[in-house]
Amino acid sequence: MAKTIMIVDDSTSLRQVVGIALRSAGYDVLEGSDGADALKKLTGQKVHLIISDVNMPNMDGITLVKELKKLPAYKFTPIVMLTTESADGKKAEGQAAGAKAWMLKPFNPPQLLAVVQKLVLP
Amino acid sequence: MTRFLTSFLQRWQCTAFALASGAAACATGRGAAPVVGGAALLAAGAVLDGARRRRETRARTDAAGFVAGADALGRDVMPVWSAHIETSRAQMETAVAALTSRFAGIVDRLDQTLRATGQGGDHGLAAVFDHSNGELRGVLDSLKAAMASNATLHTEVQDLGRFVAELQQMAGEVASIAHQTNLLAINAAIEAAHAGAEGRGFAVLAQEVRKLSALSGETGQRMADKVAHIASAMAAARATAEDSARREAAQAEASEGAIHGVLERFRGVTEAMESSTAALQRESAGIQGEIVEALVQLQFQDRVSQRMNHVRHNIERLPALLAESREAFDASGALRPVDAAALLHELEGSYAMADERATHAGDAAKASAAAAVADLEEVTFF
Repeated sequence: MAKTIMIVDDSTSLRQVVGIALRSAGYDVLEGSDGADALKKLTGQKVHLIISDVNMPNMDGITLVKELKKLPAYKFTPIVMLTTESADGKKAEGQAAGAKAWMLKPFNPPQLLAVVQKLVLP
Repeated sequence: MTRFLTSFLQRWQCTAFALASGAAACATGRGAAPVVGGAALLAAGAVLDGARRRRETRARTDAAGFVAGADALGRDVMPVWSAHIETSRAQMETAVAALTSRFAGIVDRLDQTLRATGQGGDHGLAAVFDHSNGELRGVLDSLKAAMASNATLHTEVQDLGRFVAELQQMAGEVASIAHQTNLLAINAAIEAAHAGAEGRGFAVLAQEVRKLSALSGETGQRMADKVAHIASAMAAARATAEDSARREAAQAEASEGAIHGVLERFRGVTEAMESSTAALQRESAGIQGEIVEALVQLQFQDRVSQRMNHVRHNIERLPALLAESREAFDASGALRPVDAAALLHELEGSYAMADERATHAGDAAKASAAAAVADLEEVTFF
């Protein structure tokens, strides 16, 4: 059975590019347009990994990570921050919130898949 | 403007002070000439004072116009700039999203095509060929088995021919026995005649033996006739069977040749199709790779969108600052410039990308390098 990965980003095209990369590797993909939308769509279903942007409207990525860590169903779900944000301070915030990796945009699909395969839950 | 007004007012205060001092000296002096001189000085002072007030009024009007103009720039022009930037950003995002969606559709369809044409095993052309080859070879084997069965039957018929020959011999032996018996019966009759009355009974017996001998001879002849007839029928059947076997062998050989020919042509077609399918698969995979690469490059839109957003938000801060400047002027006449450094600091604080910071610092080369697709080393694991 295919594993499910959620991509959270306010850019439609970015979500599509990530979706293509993940689907071509055999993963099922869920999409959220920002942190709040992602929380609304994650209704207890099993997600093996979450990839999230940092700077988004309504709810940013760091806040999303903090909120997910409060939920028993997603407390141990690995989260990768995929962002243009390169400031060390923000990275430290992501790490403190509980993210597993920090990846800079623009990305290339093999690089993203390597990170996904390393972190995705069994 | 402020510095100019201050300098002008200081110079005018000095002149007014000199004129007032001259008038006082005239008032304390004696005679008409000094009085006339003092009046002239006062008149000149009044004229100069009027000119000063007019200049002050004009300068204030100019300053008010400047401040109002700056306020109007912030209130009327900058929102239009901002709207244009936002509209451009939104149009670019919509277009890139649509483009990405189309590309995604093409990638999906290519993927499905690759999966469909790449299926080997039970559905591939090679498998169809192997299956057909096996089926046709099965048909040939059946033909050969039928021919072998006919050959066995032919051998059995030949064996029956040997039995017929034995039967013919046996019929001949029966005829020979009948002939010998007849001779014996004749001799017995002759001997009975020699014996006279005592031999009469023996003569009757010899007569009956002769009848039996004649009957046996006839039976032997009929047997020989029947066996000859069977032998003739079997020879005809064997000839027909041999002819049939020869024709079947020729037909089987022709069928085998035809089947081999069909299979060879089929193999040629399937190999050509396999080859063209492999070429199509390679090309499809290549096109898919190119499209995915194009999609990767389309990520520029996300970066450009963020950069435009940061500039737009900074522009949108200006109208309020210019309005504050105007309100301060209206309230106290003070000319308070917009704090450009603070505004620039706010803009810098909104940056997320390394290339934005490099652009801000005026380093174009560094900005370009920072915007490139990151290497694997750019991933940080916590």
